Amino acid sequence: MTVIAVISPKGGVGKTTVAVNLACALAENGRVVRLVDMDPQNALRLHLGADPGDANGLVHQTLQQSSWYYTEYDSAYGVSFIPYGKVSEVERITFEAYLAQTPNWLRDNIAELDHDPAGLTIIDTPPGPSVYVQQVLSIANLVLVVMIPDAGSYATLPAIEGLLDYYCGHRSDFYGSYYVLNQFDAEHPLNRDIKNVMQNTLGERLAPHSIHRDESLSEALAFQQPARDYAPHSQSVEDLAQLAVWLENKVTRVVR
Amino acid sequence: MSSALPDNNPVKPAEKQREDRRSRSREQSRYKFGKLNEYTTAMIEWYGWEHRYWRIAIMLVVLVLFVFSMSVPMSLAFQSVYAATLLGITLFLRSYTGTLFTLVMVVFSVNQSSRYLYWRMTETLVLDNWVDGTFGVILLLAEIYAWMVLLLGYAQTIWPLKRKPEPMPEDAARWPTVDLYITTYDEPLRVVRPTVLAALAIDWPRDKLNVYLLDDGRREEFREFAESVGITHLTRDNNFHAKAGNINAALAKTNGEFVAIFDCDHIPARSFLQMTMGWFLRDPKLGMIQTPHHFLSPDPFERNLGTFRRVPNEGELFYGLIQDGNDLWNATFFCGSCAVTRRSILLEIGGVAVETVTEDAHTALKMHRMGYTTAYISIPQAAGLATESLSAHVGQRIRWARGMAQIFRVDNPLFGKGLSLMQRLCYSNAMLHFFYGLPRVIFLTAPLSYLFFQAHIINAEALIIAAYAIPHLAHANLTNSRMQGAHRHSFWAELYESTLAWYILRPTLVALIDPKFGKFNVTAKGGLVEKEFLDWQIGAPYLIMLALNLAGLLIGFVRLFWWNSFEAQTVILNLIWTVYNLVLLGATMAVATEAKQVRANHRVNCNQKAMLKLNGGSRVVCRASDYSEGGLGLIMPDAGMAPLHSEVRVSLFMGVREFVFPARVVFARDTVVGVEFEGLSLQQQMDLVQCTLARADAWLDWTDNRVVDRPMKGLQEILFHSMKGFGHLWHYLLKRVNSTPHQGDEDKKPEKDVFYQTLSKKMTGKGQQETVMHRLSGFVQMGRTVLQKSGDSVRARLAKGRI
Repeated sequence: MTVIAVISPKGGVGKTTVAVNLACALAENGRVVRLVDMDPQNALRLHLGADPGDANGLVHQTLQQSSWYYTEYDSAYGVSFIPYGKVSEVERITFEAYLAQTPNWLRDNIAELDHDPAGLTIIDTPPGPSVYVQQVLSIANLVLVVMIPDAGSYATLPAIEGLLDYYCGHRSDFYGSYYVLNQFDAEHPLNRDIKNVMQNTLGERLAPHSIHRDESLSEALAFQQPARDYAPHSQSVEDLAQLAVWLENKVTRVVR
Repeated sequence: MSSALPDNNPVKPAEKQREDRRSRSREQSRYKFGKLNEYTTAMIEWYGWEHRYWRIAIMLVVLVLFVFSMSVPMSLAFQSVYAATLLGITLFLRSYTGTLFTLVMVVFSVNQSSRYLYWRMTETLVLDNWVDGTFGVILLLAEIYAWMVLLLGYAQTIWPLKRKPEPMPEDAARWPTVDLYITTYDEPLRVVRPTVLAALAIDWPRDKLNVYLLDDGRREEFREFAESVGITHLTRDNNFHAKAGNINAALAKTNGEFVAIFDCDHIPARSFLQMTMGWFLRDPKLGMIQTPHHFLSPDPFERNLGTFRRVPNEGELFYGLIQDGNDLWNATFFCGSCAVTRRSILLEIGGVAVETVTEDAHTALKMHRMGYTTAYISIPQAAGLATESLSAHVGQRIRWARGMAQIFRVDNPLFGKGLSLMQRLCYSNAMLHFFYGLPRVIFLTAPLSYLFFQAHIINAEALIIAAYAIPHLAHANLTNSRMQGAHRHSFWAELYESTLAWYILRPTLVALIDPKFGKFNVTAKGGLVEKEFLDWQIGAPYLIMLALNLAGLLIGFVRLFWWNSFEAQTVILNLIWTVYNLVLLGATMAVATEAKQVRANHRVNCNQKAMLKLNGGSRVVCRASDYSEGGLGLIMPDAGMAPLHSEVRVSLFMGVREFVFPARVVFARDTVVGVEFEGLSLQQQMDLVQCTLARADAWLDWTDNRVVDRPMKGLQEILFHSMKGFGHLWHYLLKRVNSTPHQGDEDKKPEKDVFYQTLSKKMTGKGQQETVMHRLSGFVQMGRTVLQKSGDSVRARLAKGRI
């Protein structure tokens, strides 16, 4: 089993969208994929057609000292997911305090689940540093950093690198971290420039395929579907499919 | 018992069987005959070849054997058996690949053709009466010419060098400086612009590539354009010596180590210099390197016959095979464009030659005389427009023919210093080739001398003629099909030459007599043909020949049955020849019928990844299916995605780089979408040329869909076009007689609509068939109209003709 963390330095970069659609593309290629939502926004499940009224999630299970087993859902799109859960402010504060005291919480809970040996667990996180990101980065085998091609994102690069180095750099089961550009539009010179600069700085660590800015992705969420099912011919779906193949290669190579 | 047998062993379709045989042949050549190939190699590498006396001794032995095998007298039976044996071996060998087998076939072909000619000279000439003698000698001379060209052709192309590009040094600091000349005289800026933009995009250190626009028209518009893209606009105050003078004047003003020369409509690929320059660094004596002239639009033959990209065009034999063959003998010709020259050597021979109208070939000849080398790389690294109309095409060929005849007179490659024997032969063949006008006209009319005047031009029994002539023709065709098949289909040379023969006959003869007579004409490009028409002016001489041959046919039949019918065999032989000539002349008529050409910008087929950003902001993956200067044809994954007239953004890709162009949808039907670019900036225009016409791989798959040549197939094709030609002729003759212009419904449709109809047909798999069916039905329809129009009399005449 390989754990892939999806993080981003800033909000609104489409991290959850990328995580879900990438997971669907990987599942289509035959991988067993489980998505875990560690973001208090609890939005991941909406991409996969979950019932909006259902409050169940990993927070409740944790506070009730129960297993994640009871909060794992199967979606119609080939991936299973564990939602964060709809929680009150008090519950969230209690939960986060608990996490701060229990650094192995995520590791233990994941280990308890049934696992396909070649399966992937993709964990979505809230933007920026947080207790969630700490725990996720501590166990991730591979990290995907989602960025958008603007100056603000680029400026956070050193901070992200520091974070990665602190939590992952020393671990022998850490395969590497990669950057993915989302909402790319070649028409804007700034987009192209930032892509070039990032290519120069990161080299191989910048994914070769950027995801184009594409209304189909936002529309897909409105219809509670992965983009692949909503707009199969859109460029972003094509980008994500290529990204999935690329990621697949990365995972296969390091696991071997 | 049931008649239905289990289908265990289904009969393979003929095409599949042929394919199997072909692949088997490849395998066997490689494995089974590997030893043979080794022996050949050992033979080639024998040390004796390096010693003058060994070489001369062997040559003498070969010469004696050659003369013996050519002249040994044989009875009819013996000759038949001998010829049949050789033909049998050839037929067996031709299914195997490899140069060794080609060499064997060439030897057989040379032997059979020489035997034929020797027999013709010694036994079939009657000089005791005036009529037989004159016609006989004329035909024999034409045959001697054909034999010489056949042999020289074999020598020239026996072993194409197929030179690979030489890699450039890693360190770009060692790369030399290059001046790139784009020569123009009166072509519109629209034609020149993409060439300049592509030249600017060539992959070469920016400070080492200078682009110059050599404008002999001295136009203000061009100066402004040159300034806007940052290149130098060069003019001179006279137009002496046309293009050659233009280049020479520029040589004095620039100073790059190398000079790349482009016609203003040849768009270079970005890899052009990296593909060619390596050899200059490796060979310091290399004066010029040439790449093929590739044409992205159909020439008149291809357009009027509808064979674009399916049958190799007229120029392809030269660029696909002859130049590669020349390269082996260090005799590559300079072709005036798509080439790089070394300035020091070019200056040493006095710049581009100005003595003749084919300055390019003469320039290379001068380099060779000084002991320098030239090279050829057979990878299309530029593409241009072909001549638009048959008359323009004829004009261009006239110039080439004149120029070659001029060189033959003023600087004959057979004499003078500095050339090797093979260089002399290669140049001679190139020049001799252009004298085909007279012999071809002789062949087209030769049987008439018998049918009209009863001249015995070949004084022998028909059976003996067959025993000598059939092996001669069969070997020549089989061997040429093997050597040239990929670049010229069998029997197509006959068509190309027949069409041009009359027109290059005069200029070549005039230039032979007085090389200075006549003036330079520029080939016009970029015109339109609004409606199909038969070019009577160009067709006139062929119409006369056609009428003569038809008359001959009639007389032949009369002579066969009723009058003077004592020489039936000879009459039949001449009738067969006449029918063959009629087939060629009919095909000529098909070429002379100018097909409609309504677009100023040519569409070039392609198949590359693209992306469309729709008005709503979503982006769709699609494929580009064709491009032109003004727009792009796209295949969408689904119908109705891009509404007509909507504004879109088209992305094209070069590797991982993406380029976005604003455009508007001008056509949408099913999944086919046509867009027109709008308001492209200069940078975007450059990017567009780079993503499309200037791609390094733009022309590499050009011949992928081509059928393999087979001699009988070639004959069939010519026959088909000939029938079409007669159809056209009939149609336009009647039209002329009736003088009420008959206009098909198709002509009235708006141009874009017609274009996209055919386009959308092309996209739907069976499109090809549909267009052909469409054409055929049109043909039948036309026939019907003709019949109705001309009424009963025609029907009656037709019926009579059948009886």
